[in-house]
Formats: sequence, structure tokens, C-alpha cells
Amino acid sequence: MARVNSPKELEGLRQQILSERDPNKPCIAICAGIGCLACGAAKVVTVFKQEVEKQGLKLDVDIKETGCPGFCERGPIVVIYPEEICYLQVQPEDVPEIISQTIKEKKVIDRLLYIDPTTGEKSTYESEIPFYKNQHRLLIGQNIKIDPRSIDDYIALGGYKALAKALCAMTPEQVMEEVDKANLRGRGGGGFPAGAKWKTTRDAPGEPKYVIVNADEGDPGAFMDRSLLEGNPHSVIEGLVIGAYAIGSHEGFVYVRQEYPLAVENINIAIKQAGEYGLLGKNILGSGFDFVIDVHRGAGAFVSGESSALMTAIEGRVGEPRPKYIRTAVSGVWDKPSNLNNVETWANVPLIIDRGADWFRSIGTEGSKGTKIFSLVGKVNNTGLVEVPMGVTLRSIIYDIGGGIPGGKKFKAVQTGGPSGGMIPEQYLDASVDFDELTKLDSMMGSGGMIVMDEDTCVVDVARYFIDFLCDESCGKCVPCREGLKHMREILNDIVGGRGKQGDIELLEGLSRVMKKASLCALGQTAPNPVLTTINYFRDEYEAHIEEKRCPALVCKELISYHIDPDKCKACMICGRECPVSAISGGKGLIHIIDQEKCTRCGTCFDVCPTRFRAVKKISGEPVPAPVPEAERVLVRGNK
Amino acid sequence: MSEVTLEIDGKEVKAEEGTTVLEAAKGAGIDIPTLCYHPALSPFGSCRLCMVEITSKGRKRLVTSCNYPVEEGLVVATKSPDVIEVRKGIIELLLARCPNVELIQNLAKEYGVEEPPYKPGDEDEKCILCGLCARMCEERMGASVINFVDRGVDRRVETPFQGTGDKDLDVCRACGACAFVCPTGAITLEDITGKTPEPILSEFDEGLATRAPVYVPFAQAVPNVPVIDKEQCVHFTTGKCKTCEEFCAPRAIDFEQEDEVIEVEVGNIIVATGFDLFDPSVIQQYGYGRLDNVLTSLEFERMVNSAGPTEGHIVLKDGSEPGSIGLIHCVGSRDEQYHEYCSRVCCMYSMKFAHLIKEHTSADVYEFYIDIRSFGKGYEEFYNRMLEEGTVFIRGKPAEVTNIAETPEEEGKLIVQFEDTLVGRQRRLPVDMVVLSCGLEPSRDVEEVARLFNISRSADGFFLEKHPKLDPVATMTDGIFIAGCCQGPKDIPDTVAQASAAAAEALSMISRGTVEIEAATAVIDESLCTGCQLCKILCPYSAISFDEEKRVCRVNEALCKGCGVCVGGCPSDAINLSHYTNEQILAQMEGALS
Repeated sequence: MARVNSPKELEGLRQQILSERDPNKPCIAICAGIGCLACGAAKVVTVFKQEVEKQGLKLDVDIKETGCPGFCERGPIVVIYPEEICYLQVQPEDVPEIISQTIKEKKVIDRLLYIDPTTGEKSTYESEIPFYKNQHRLLIGQNIKIDPRSIDDYIALGGYKALAKALCAMTPEQVMEEVDKANLRGRGGGGFPAGAKWKTTRDAPGEPKYVIVNADEGDPGAFMDRSLLEGNPHSVIEGLVIGAYAIGSHEGFVYVRQEYPLAVENINIAIKQAGEYGLLGKNILGSGFDFVIDVHRGAGAFVSGESSALMTAIEGRVGEPRPKYIRTAVSGVWDKPSNLNNVETWANVPLIIDRGADWFRSIGTEGSKGTKIFSLVGKVNNTGLVEVPMGVTLRSIIYDIGGGIPGGKKFKAVQTGGPSGGMIPEQYLDASVDFDELTKLDSMMGSGGMIVMDEDTCVVDVARYFIDFLCDESCGKCVPCREGLKHMREILNDIVGGRGKQGDIELLEGLSRVMKKASLCALGQTAPNPVLTTINYFRDEYEAHIEEKRCPALVCKELISYHIDPDKCKACMICGRECPVSAISGGKGLIHIIDQEKCTRCGTCFDVCPTRFRAVKKISGEPVPAPVPEAERVLVRGNK
Repeated sequence: MSEVTLEIDGKEVKAEEGTTVLEAAKGAGIDIPTLCYHPALSPFGSCRLCMVEITSKGRKRLVTSCNYPVEEGLVVATKSPDVIEVRKGIIELLLARCPNVELIQNLAKEYGVEEPPYKPGDEDEKCILCGLCARMCEERMGASVINFVDRGVDRRVETPFQGTGDKDLDVCRACGACAFVCPTGAITLEDITGKTPEPILSEFDEGLATRAPVYVPFAQAVPNVPVIDKEQCVHFTTGKCKTCEEFCAPRAIDFEQEDEVIEVEVGNIIVATGFDLFDPSVIQQYGYGRLDNVLTSLEFERMVNSAGPTEGHIVLKDGSEPGSIGLIHCVGSRDEQYHEYCSRVCCMYSMKFAHLIKEHTSADVYEFYIDIRSFGKGYEEFYNRMLEEGTVFIRGKPAEVTNIAETPEEEGKLIVQFEDTLVGRQRRLPVDMVVLSCGLEPSRDVEEVARLFNISRSADGFFLEKHPKLDPVATMTDGIFIAGCCQGPKDIPDTVAQASAAAAEALSMISRGTVEIEAATAVIDESLCTGCQLCKILCPYSAISFDEEKRVCRVNEALCKGCGVCVGGCPSDAINLSHYTNEQILAQMEGALS
């Protein structure tokens, strides 16, 4: 690859790439993001390649493995260019048909299109699918058009234009001012203004200065940063170089979790390619600015996502946070000024430079500008990555984009901000999603995890789950976090196990106060959030667990019982066969009875009882009805 | 460094910039509880007990004072309701973790925490995970033998690969700093290493006590300041530590300090280099170094000293008081195998021991002597008093001290085997302790010192005086005098007398202001000298040197005493004594004979 020595040469390169590409040549873009790969995308790609070759179309059709467009629920996703036909849930068996019908005959295969579950309407193009229609995809929108391992794909779409502009047409101060003006706030969770942080690092004494990409995404169910790093790594690199230029740094780190092998691979390839074009290294684009990036792999610690812990880890020590009375922007890695931002924050930078702060400010709310990517998971129809402008309502995300709750169930709460966030109940569904509003609801934006829960979710159990997660993931350095979490887990375990006592709620609240005030880092300070918000919004459920020994959502095993309604049991013997502990007695024509002593409350009988009978009942907080007397057990079948 | 002013609990406090709020508070006498803080270690901020409420830039918040830097105008409250709530909360959590650790129990008492509201943990748990041990090991000892392993609620302190049973890690020096710094006694050295620590034995206390690598050599040492043992100091062996520096408030510790050689020009030198005690371990039959409770006289002297390792208590190795003590005279003295001479002091100091033993304990004392030599003023009277006090004097030099019992009474005792020459019988006497009254011998470096000062030595190895009766403190070299045991064994009165004499001699030289040198000195005829250097070897005053260039010998007239040894020894007749040349002598002889 020839080195690109000026913005002009970069534009020349872009034109050259475009001229070599026939816009009318069919191109099959298959999402090779982690979600689709899990659904078998790799096999689909192989079959596409074989099929194209078999049908003699190798030179006439391009096949591209792209980044994740977000609709993971319906993977593997295939988009056929130039028509931009979007096929969902494509299986290897569908491939020959796609080649022969869509590629050759230009016919759309209806069954692979998105069909609206309510209206039955079909959507041929991505832009028509409600999931996408209601989004504003500035960052992940291009993923499906880009092979993350091809820098040319990125450049063809105008990539590195912002870098050229920043390095060659702007001073570092102008870049800084633009970002400051855009009011870009940190996407990692804190929402700290990036411009202000950059300025602190720039003005801090000490050389060298470092810039860092925090890609240690660890919230359960969150994969925003992963998709960006896997699907469009160059956008992150471009943002990082621009930031480094503004800050006056010549060395950067990408701290990425080892558990993201594809992200590690793609970012390394991207750095190599950018280096070959001279977009990294010495004298970038002839501007005289030097910058190199080192990829540092995290060893799998949630707490390493905390900035000071991450920096300690980069130094080669155990990733444990240290007090930040002197900010890491002033004294970070090896006590040098170090500016750390989240993947998504960096990815926003090229957009701001390219299109201007005013354009960026036009998106979002008063205090929170731009878009935010959420990973929408849990009890929602359309799980996946969602990018929306700041300020849309939770309802819009969950219902308009997410398609509501599956199975006609009732919405109960949404957990935002991962384990550090809180659970937001239905009455706040119309709250707008931005940094400040969510904080008002005792939750937080966090890095963008959004877990939807329906009426079958026990909030106490969920709070316990998060606390359990944090017990393992806390570094254990400071007393309130380590010991506090331990006791919090113990108390919650008691509550869900039916051993809750009067005063437990108050004890949890008191303990939470100490943890919030006294913990060393944000992990400990926010750890009680799931407990506090659930107590705040669902105190009655806690009380039901403690006082009535009843789990209203019928989840907590030790508080529920299963029994068979003798009026509904048709003695089909399915449950009896499936019961793993043989707790169900009965036979043909004999009404089944669950032996409560033997029953482990696994729920198998409940799940397998045919829906037309629904004879197995789940109850909590009430005594199990006495079994039918032996004399009445014989089932008299209807007129048969 | 500039100074900043802050307010702590309403009190105006000045502190150096760059220090912490905790340090400022301590300086102002305001107490803030801490657990993971140690002045010699980097602040860790993990126990959170030192939290205080600060108001900075109009904002109130809780911070850990151990690592929050002081700021101009900072307002600090160390006992605000928020602070107390948090502190109590932390103490509750720690008390639940370690219900039986006194340190935590005391804190709980202080803060009115009775029962933690949580389920108490393992009652044997002592570790509060403050990390002092790990930081001490890494930051100061430079070893990093222990550290935290695992995370979250499973965090604990471990050695690497613990559980594989390999405790013999070379990195651990068994220095014990971790156990030393542990505030709860959770760490024992056995948990960490298979090595046994080797204590540094105090030289002054004859190895009966241990000392630190930084120590004052002995009470009232001159100068009375601590010294650092470079061989043992962790800083000098590894480049780390420097913990002592943190504790020395006047910052007096200087690791750069080196030994200095001071050159002083003087006209007289009094050599008073003393003696060494005879090492009794060479007399194997007495069991010194092999058997417990066999002590040298100097060791016993330390033990019986009220400033000594046992504060003056006479105790056996197991700490109990002895019921009987045997004192063996003439160990290494009056013995053809070691020193033939009498060390002169042993009889009397042994009797002093007998007296002290009687004074301190109710033990029976046996003195094994050859002859009692109580020659000084009042000495014989002291001997008589000892007899009256009930000290048993046995005439006979013991053949052996053993721990092999022959009768039940001898079991667990030291048995002195000897011939009682007054009754002419072989006997065995079981005692609890044996003190060897060791003789005095020339100090180890006597030969070197003798060469340096050009002093001759007598057959016993001590320095030789010019004349035993007429000039007992002078030496053959003018201006060099000897005093004390370097001349021969003697007791304190004799030493003082001799030293006074030496001082008087020196003073007489000084008051004269000039030194008369010998008129009749040797003269070398360079034309005849062959450079054989025989004269140089013969000269008892080191007055002859060899000129390498001319390859002839030269005489230093200031040193030459005109003894004539060289004149007679010169094979080429190149040396003459001025005023006494061969020709002159021959002429005199001729004149006398004619």
C-alpha cells in the first residue's frame, strides 16, 4: 500500500477506490458481527462463497463480511446491494435461492423479509423496518456497508476525511474548541464532557501524554463498544488520532477485553492498515504529527473498566482503582497525564470534526448531545443494538424500536446502566433518555446497557443477581465495597430464600448509604443502585418476600410451589415423565399429584403441561391445596 | 515547598504543600483513625476509616484523608455526622468480618458499635485486608513475596503458588517485616516461608540479645547515636526500604554517610588497644558453644548487668533461675596448652560473680581454682568475705563439663568432673550453670598494631615496654607509650595507674617542646653500599629505607638510635656510626693500648 502523504492524496485514494468499484455490481453483505456469528453467519458466508463459485458468478458478485448493523434478534442478516434488500434470519439453505432469485433474477424473496408481527406488512429495505426506522444511526449505520478488515471500505465512505481536516486545516486548539462546543459527553457512563477532560490533559504538566480507548466493556448484556470495535474499528482510530492531536499526545492505548477476540483481531488489523497508509506513525498525512497506538488486552476484570484501574492494568499491575483526587487526566498511566474515553466517545469525534459542532448540537437534548447506542436485551421482541438521539423516551426505545414485550406480557421495569444502574418502573417509561434524566431516577445512562424485564421477573431476584455479579467483580480493595457487597448478597439471599426478617430493608438501605459514601471507586459507589431503586420502586415486593414469604412474580424458588389443579388435569402423564426427580405420581386416568417433599421447584411440569390444559399451577405465599382424595383421583373421561 | 493553610475541625492548621490531610491533622494533634495507613508506605485508601468531610470550592464531600492532598483554604471536618455514620458503618463491616480481633473490637467500643447487624464471619479470621504486609514487602523490602490474590469477596493475602506447598521461595528473606507491620497479628512467618529468620545478635550483649540493623552500639556510646549495619540493612543490601528515614522526625538519617579517615598530626601516641577474651570453645571438654548454660565470664557479666539483656536477672536458657552455679578459674590461663601466664583478674572477678550471684539468687556457688591470687589492696579481705558468704572453693581444675548424667540427681544438669586436690579424690558435681573465667589474651590485631607503631612484643604476645621496672610505659620508639592490657593482663587500678604514667610521660615531652635526637647515628657510605638491604632488615627502629633510584640504603636520622646493629651487620662495611667510625674506634683503641 502506498503511503498517503496529504489530504489531497487521501481524496485521490478515495476517488481511486470508488472508481475501481462498480456501483451496480451486486454485492452480498453478510453481518459477521458476534450476534450473527452466533446464529451461524460463518456457515452462511461459506455457502455463499461456494454457491457463487458454483454458479459461475465469482467475478460478477462481491461477498462482504461486515460489521454488526444491530438487529441481532433476527440474525444472520444479509443485505443485497445495490438494491439494499434486507434479508433476515438467513440460513445456509436459503443461499442458493438468494443467488438464483435475487442476484440473478432480481426478485425479492418474501419469506426472508421483515414481516411486522402486528400488521403483517413486509419491509424490503432496511430503512423500512420499524426497528431501524426509529433509530438515528450515526455510528453503527455504516457497519453493514463496511468490511471491518478493509480500510479501503472505510475510506470509500469518507473515512479519515475528518482526520485530514483536523490535522491539516485546524490547530489543536480549534479541534479542542469544536469538541468542547459540541458538548460531547463521555459515553462510558460518567457523562463527563470530553472537551473539558481533553483540556485538562493538554494543560497538565508532564510528558508524554497518553490517550486511551476504554474498550473494557463488562456490563452484563452490553455489547455496544464491541460492535463498534469489531464492526468499524477505523472510526475509533480516527477519533483517537484527532483527540491525540488536540491533546498533544503521541502515544495511545486501546484497552480491550481479551474476551472480545474478534475486536482484538480487527483493531489490530485496522491499526496495521492505517499505519501502512501513513494514517498512524510518523508525520501523519504530511502534517508533521506523529502518533502510535498500542493494543492492550484486558485480563477479564469488570473493575478494569474504571479508569484508574484500567490505567493500573496498562502499567502491568493488577487492575485496581486508586483514588482520583488527582485526576487521571493529570496523573494517569505511569503518573503521566492520560486522557481516557470510551470507544463510543472516540467514534463520535470524526463526526463532530467532519460535520461541525453545530450539526452535532442539533441532535439530542439540552444537556446531552448526539446519539447513544444501547444494547437492548431482555424481555423485548427486538433485541439488538439501538442507536437513538439523546432524549427519546424509554417507551419509544422499548416499544417503537424494541417492538414491545413478547408473549403479551406486561412490562415491569428496565435496568439501565448495567450493574451500576437502576431499575426504572413503568411509570417513568416516558422519561427521556439522557445523562441527567436517568440520574434523576436514581439510575444512570451507564455505557448503554438496557435490560427489559416483564411481569415474570422478580426484582428482588434481579437485584440479587447484580449484587452477586459485583461480589465477584469488585476488586475487593476497599472495605465498604468488598464487605458491603458480601453482606448485601447475604441479606438478599435470605430474602429470596424466604429467610428475610423485619428490618432487612432498612438494613439494606443503611448499608447502601455507607457503600455509596465510602467506597473508593464508582463500582462500589454505584453498586447499591440496583437494590436501592428496586426498594424505592418495588418496596411492596420486598415486603411480600419478607412478611408474607411470597414472591409476587413467582420466581424465587424457595417461595413458590407447584401443584396440579385436579379440575384441569387430564392425566396425560407428560409432566410425570418429564419430572427430573419423579415427584409426580399418577397414571393413565389418574389425576396427577405433585409430592411437595420431593419437588425441587424446577418448573419442568409447569413448562411441559400442554397449554390447552394449563393444569400445573405456580403459587406463592399461600398453602398448597390438599391433594385430591384417592377416591376422587380416577378421571372420568368425557363422552368418548 | 510552600505552605498552605487549611482548617481542620475549626482549627487553623498549616501544612506543607504536597502533604496529605491526615498528615496535617496529625501534625495538629487531631486524631483520625486509620487501619491501612502507615507512614512508611504509600497511601492505599482501602480501609476508608480515615474519611473526613471536606468543603472545597463550595462543595462538601467525603474523602479519605490519608491520600487527599492539602489545599489552601480547605475546610475539613473529622467528626461530622456523615463521617461518623460512615466510620461506624465500616467498623460494623469489619467487626462482622473479624469478630475476635482486638484492634477492631476496640474501635467498635470507641464508636459505640456493639453487635454488627450482619452475620458474623469466621471467628478465627484475623486479616482485615489492609494490605500493609504486601506493601511493606513490595515497597520497602523489594521482595514482593506476598500480595493479594483473587478479587471481590474472595480477596486474600497469599504467597505465589500457595497451595502447592512450596514455601521455600528464594525471594523471601524471612525478614519478618510483614508480620511486624500487620496490625492484627494475622500474619506469621510460618505462613509465608519455610525459612527460619536469623536474628542479628547484639555484639555488645555477647549474642545474648538481638538488635536491629540500625542500633545504638551500647548505652552511653560515644557518640551516642545509632549506626546502620550495612551488612544487614535491607537498604544497603537491596537498595529498598529506607523505612527508618520516615520515622526520624528531624530527618537525621543519611544513607550517603561513609566512614571517614581523619589524619591528626601528633607528637606522642599512647597505645591502649586492650585485650581480647580467650575463646573457650577451643577447650572442647568444657562444652562452651555446645552445651546450654555454659557461659563465658563476659557473657555472664552482661547477664548480671541491670542494663543487660535480662535486666540483671541470672537465668538459664529456659528462663528459670539456676539453683547452682560453677565458676571455673584459669580457662586459657596458666595452661601450657593455651597461655602460660596468669591473667591476674580472673580470681577477683570470679569472686565478684560469686558475690553477685549470692546477691541476686539463692544459688549455690562453686569456685574451681588452682590458686587464689588475691594480690591487690583489699582483695584478700574480699576473698575472706566470700568464704563467709558461703561460696564453696574447690581446689582443682575441672577436667570436663558434661551433660551426660550417671545418676538420677545429675539428670538435666551440667556435671563438672574434677579432682579435688585437697582431698585427692575424683568427683562429679552437678550444677545448673557453668561460668568459664576466661583469661585475657592479646587482641586479634596485635601484630598489625605492633608493626604500625613499631612496638616489640614479649613472648606472651603483649606489647613490650622499654624496661619492666625503670620505664614501664615507654616503648623503644620515642613518643610512643603503652598503657593497660595491651602491655599485659592487669586489673583496673593497675591500668589506671599505668595510663596516668603514660599520660605524664607524654606531657613531659609536650612541655619540653623539643625532642632530643641521638647525636651518634648511623651513616651509610653510598659509594660502598651494594644495596643488599640487610641493614634495613636488621634495624630495630625501622630507621633505614631503600632508595630505589640509586639502589642504596638511607638512614632516617630522626629515627636512628645509634645502636650500631647495622654497622656490625653491613657485609660491605658501608655503614659507620658518626663519632664512632671504625677509624676513630681503632684510633681510640690504639691510643688506649699505647
